[in-house]
Amino acid sequence: MARSKVFIQRKDGRIEVKIAPDAREFLKSVVDQLIAAESDGEHPWHGALHSPITPSADSDDPLRAFERQKMTATSAELMRLTLDESFLSQDEAFAWLASMQLGLRARTSEAAIFTDEDLANADESSLQTIHALQFFLFELATTLT
Amino acid sequence: MKHERSTSTATLNQEEVVTEKSWNVVVWDDPVTPMPVVALIFRKIFGYSNNKATQLMMTVHHQGRAIVWSGVRDRAESYCVKLQANGLLSTVEQDS
Repeated sequence: MARSKVFIQRKDGRIEVKIAPDAREFLKSVVDQLIAAESDGEHPWHGALHSPITPSADSDDPLRAFERQKMTATSAELMRLTLDESFLSQDEAFAWLASMQLGLRARTSEAAIFTDEDLANADESSLQTIHALQFFLFELATTLT
Repeated sequence: MKHERSTSTATLNQEEVVTEKSWNVVVWDDPVTPMPVVALIFRKIFGYSNNKATQLMMTVHHQGRAIVWSGVRDRAESYCVKLQANGLLSTVEQDS
């Protein structure tokens, strides 16, 4: 039996979102952590959001770091604002994609998962979050492609 | 005399012009990002065709990294920041 899609591309360009309320709650928790981590240096996700841009340089250009911070915050806040919507514009859908991908990378970094071997040995809680985010990312990316 | 010295210095400076090596935007592999996400982000940020984006994504997957853009440092850092803000592992390095 064919599995029903959670993101559907409509003819008018919008993306229909068919996600259950508990899954929306899960995504809300991810994006809330992302927003908190961006400004809180002690947050376990903070480091993953502030990786080096030019590692050979003594320090990165602070304007570049600010630009990244602004882009991350804009995407996360746009996703947070549209979490309960049934339809997304293309820009909103890309904000969801960026935020979910950042959440995925930050969560794996928090769990010290950097290789396939680390992933194979990851704890159940981390794997549940990772697999859920991978599912939504795959679904949205294949819809936007 | 002063004028002649200025001219020769200018000539010498012209001969000493060195072209700066280009800066590469590198994307690194990670064990969790779904492949279609990587290709889609390349298309969105660089405007690459589906074929080129997929080819670069496969290079990242198989070789652990890929140079996805080369050019002046300022633009390389701008692209790197966009890739990072979309959740990909990216850095900038100068051509060796």
